Amino acid sequence: MLVNVPGPWSPLLGRLALSEIPYTNPILAPLFVVIVLAGIALVAAITYYGKWGYLWKEWFTTVDHKKLGVMYIILGLVMLFRGFIDGLMMRTQQMLAVGPGDNGMKAMGAIHGYLTPFHFGQVYSAHGLIMILLAATPLLVGIMNIIVPLQIGARDMAYPYLNALGLWITAAAVFLIMISLFVGDFSHNGWFGYAPIFELAYSPGVGVDYWIWTLELVALGTTLGSINFLATVVKMRAPGMTWSRLPIFTWSAVSANIIALTSFPCLQVALALVGADRYLGTHFFTAGFGGNLMLYTNLFWLWGHPEVYFVILPAFGMISEIIPAFSEKPIFGYTAMVLATFAIAGVSWIVWLHHFFTMGMGPYVSTEFSIATMLVGIPTGVKVFNWAATMYKGRLTFSAAMLWAIGALFLLLIGGLTGMMLSIPAVNYMVHNSVFVVAHFHMMLLCIVYAVFGAVIFWFPKVFGFKLHEAWGKIMFWLFSAGTFLVFFPMFMLGFMGETRRLDWPFDPHWAVWFDVQEIGIAVYVLSVLAFLWMIYVSIRDRAHHRVGADAWGTSRSLEWLTDSPVPFYNYAMVPHINARDEAAWRREHGFSESRPDHFAAIHMPNNTGVAVYIGALTFVIGFGLTWRIWWLTVAALILTVLIMIYRSGKGDPGYVISAEEMEKLDRQSRQNMSDGQQHLPKGGGYTGGTVTAYSAAASDQRPQGTPPGNSRPLS
Amino acid sequence: MSHGHSNPIEHPEVQMASRGSYLTGFIIASLLMLAATILVSGQVLAPFPLLLTIMGCAGLAAIAQIYFLLHIDISEHNIWNTVALVMFIPLFVITIGLTWWMFSQLYLRTMPMIPGMPGMH
Repeated sequence: MLVNVPGPWSPLLGRLALSEIPYTNPILAPLFVVIVLAGIALVAAITYYGKWGYLWKEWFTTVDHKKLGVMYIILGLVMLFRGFIDGLMMRTQQMLAVGPGDNGMKAMGAIHGYLTPFHFGQVYSAHGLIMILLAATPLLVGIMNIIVPLQIGARDMAYPYLNALGLWITAAAVFLIMISLFVGDFSHNGWFGYAPIFELAYSPGVGVDYWIWTLELVALGTTLGSINFLATVVKMRAPGMTWSRLPIFTWSAVSANIIALTSFPCLQVALALVGADRYLGTHFFTAGFGGNLMLYTNLFWLWGHPEVYFVILPAFGMISEIIPAFSEKPIFGYTAMVLATFAIAGVSWIVWLHHFFTMGMGPYVSTEFSIATMLVGIPTGVKVFNWAATMYKGRLTFSAAMLWAIGALFLLLIGGLTGMMLSIPAVNYMVHNSVFVVAHFHMMLLCIVYAVFGAVIFWFPKVFGFKLHEAWGKIMFWLFSAGTFLVFFPMFMLGFMGETRRLDWPFDPHWAVWFDVQEIGIAVYVLSVLAFLWMIYVSIRDRAHHRVGADAWGTSRSLEWLTDSPVPFYNYAMVPHINARDEAAWRREHGFSESRPDHFAAIHMPNNTGVAVYIGALTFVIGFGLTWRIWWLTVAALILTVLIMIYRSGKGDPGYVISAEEMEKLDRQSRQNMSDGQQHLPKGGGYTGGTVTAYSAAASDQRPQGTPPGNSRPLS
Repeated sequence: MSHGHSNPIEHPEVQMASRGSYLTGFIIASLLMLAATILVSGQVLAPFPLLLTIMGCAGLAAIAQIYFLLHIDISEHNIWNTVALVMFIPLFVITIGLTWWMFSQLYLRTMPMIPGMPGMH
């Protein structure tokens, strides 16, 4: 023991004790029972159907970038749901607690509403951390994982094993934050933490420790991922894929991962210093002994602002892929788009101080950071005008993916304009820490969520070979948009009325009506979640009717639409030669869509490995051991991790070779599957790009899926 | 893919790495950290000279790590390392420089002066 922790500690169990499990809490105890029962049911079902071997061989040990991407996305969606439930709890608390007097539920031990302030603090801290780092980040990394290698014509990522390691370390972070629900507490000091309240003297529990190690793990996983993405794009591009032909989404992935690679270490250092304070008794962020409270805030946002651009840039990239495909035009101003992406990435490093204008560093510093923040508006404006110009005089198809992309533009506009307001220090002083700021950044993060849903619908057929149900996708879009409107516009109003953020007891009765509106909005959000689940169910049930060919939308533009749907594990039977910026569109217009490779060559593929799963599990044990200060467990897991890494490094992976004959057979099989699934189905095409006519009986002619725009109404 | 795609040992990045340079980098960085820790915990110097000394140690450690561990230099045959260096310098100036400027402005307004710091009274 390097510092004296309050409360009992034993060498065997550390701070862990039966009393740390909140079995008396009226919310957590029933939830725990439900989760245990659901878990038992899941395990029983997998055992009954004998799927453990399949799961282990095909999914857990895979190094295939598409499967890893799918698992990243599932992880992100589960955490998006968890974060949403946290949001629902906060909205309900504020609706119940608003107003003067003693209105709490005594049975829950609350004076106001139904949550105690300590519990409410954990809910908002978990909500923020989960939504940004464990929902948005895995969703974006997952989509980048699937799409970037396909867009540059690579067989896999540069380091397939490192890719699996990144996923399983992120999963370890997810397990760590989820277990904090049922064992001990979570941090109550906000998702970004405040000095000195996270010091041991003021937060003696394990909540802050959970927070530190969850963040450390997810930062590690994301840093590894960003190295992998950069190496992949630099080294693995297909012949002819010059930098000036790189699809915009890949460009945005490059810029985002440069930001991640340069900024995540800063978070790791900041949290390591917090850890040193809490575990070693140093004084980096205490008020006494030469510590500096603001240094923490500075270090955190030095990462924090680049991080928010790390999540918004891939979202911009997704919008830039969806809009041209459903406008049947190439993206307007490709070069300007790429430059704008990198301008945003560049500016992201010099604006972090606008998160704490009120610190009091004076007018000169504030002015510099205010101007730098305003600069962000220029490249973002360039992007918005480029998207608008792409749609101008295009043949627009308002498919579900397109609706999400256009919805994202509206949120970007609102979020961007309020962001411009906040960049003025004088305004910032007035609304600092009010829910106006909360509403602003929710507009930006929802812009990401919209782009992600659009991207999921857009690229789903490429990965699984069938489309998601269009109508339910649209219903979900409208429900989700109504929820967004009802929750966050009242939040802007409440911000103007002076409500500060994180109030477990909003005392002003004038706010009550807005809280009621927000609660209705949350109910609409619940409906949109149900619509999403129903969309997934209907799509899987009717998958035979929604099968697609290589070019799922008929108007797709970039390289990934050339390979079969679903993408075979080797991505491309032969590495394609790239002739133009929008390769799929170029081949369609020049009549090469149906051309197949005339010969095959042997290819080299990586082997599956369980090592990444083991290391992920061990990093979870390390995080858990550190949180509860079980030193023997931590040291044992750490030594084991290092040994496994040395073993794996020594052994390496020779991979395996698929011969040319075998490739020819695989390729024929993949083509056969794809056309078999379509044979009895109506075919789409024309200027709706197959999105509408594919489902109508009128379009049951035998044209190939997705007629090129050249065969339909000429442009302009 | 032009140079030994199947054999990673043949890559120039791997060829340039050597056990000696990794060990040298590790030992130099460790020694500098140890020196800084001893200076701080023993309070050997007055606050302001101490600040300058540990800053010097940190700077040397950063250079040692960049050169010995990351092999970043300005040689022609390793263009991506040069790119990384070009990227590193502005980022270093931004993060350290702007933080320094911000804290100096903040301290002017809020903090008692560090004893021995020149130009302040």
